[in-house]
Amino acid sequence: MNIEARKKALRFLFAPIVDKLGYKFNPEEEDVDFLLEQEAGLEQQCGIPYCPCQARTKDRAENMKIVCPCIPFHRAHFDAMKRCWCGLFVHKDVVDPSKLKQLPPGGFYKKD
Amino acid sequence: MKKVKMYTLSTCLWCKRTKKFFEDRKIPFEAVDYDKVEEQERERIMAEMREKGGGGSFPYVCIGSDVVQGYEPDAFERLLGCEKK
Repeated sequence: MNIEARKKALRFLFAPIVDKLGYKFNPEEEDVDFLLEQEAGLEQQCGIPYCPCQARTKDRAENMKIVCPCIPFHRAHFDAMKRCWCGLFVHKDVVDPSKLKQLPPGGFYKKD
Repeated sequence: MKKVKMYTLSTCLWCKRTKKFFEDRKIPFEAVDYDKVEEQERERIMAEMREKGGGGSFPYVCIGSDVVQGYEPDAFERLLGCEKK
């Protein structure tokens, strides 16, 4: 599989899905390129474009919750932070993603 | 100097930035790529992370007895007692 072609395909596939969820691709193009490359690599390795910043375990049901775009499975958390965990997607109203945090003040977010 | 240990993923953008944060400040740290170790070690790491309240999201950084999940430069600086760079 050609990684560059797959990155373009993933971008094409994800855009309309996240749009309906109120998100868009992160305006930081360099970050998006890196993250899509990792996802294309994971897809090549595992058959599924998992989130590159969350761990897979032996629990398939849990692993399904980190298939990109994983927004529906972590909705409360991501909506609060205005970004998904890896930062591939941000809320549509986000202009400067550099200010966004992964977790609220105080640390861990309650799992959905 | 507090001991710094982190669990990371080789595919994670924020794990790379976390490592760079410590490298830039010449702060020694121990890092383990979760996705590069054997299954048994992965299970041990996940159990440790869950015991402290974190899920399977990376990076997971232990600074002394404190834990920071995610790339949080302000929290790293505060816990290390170092100045902003």
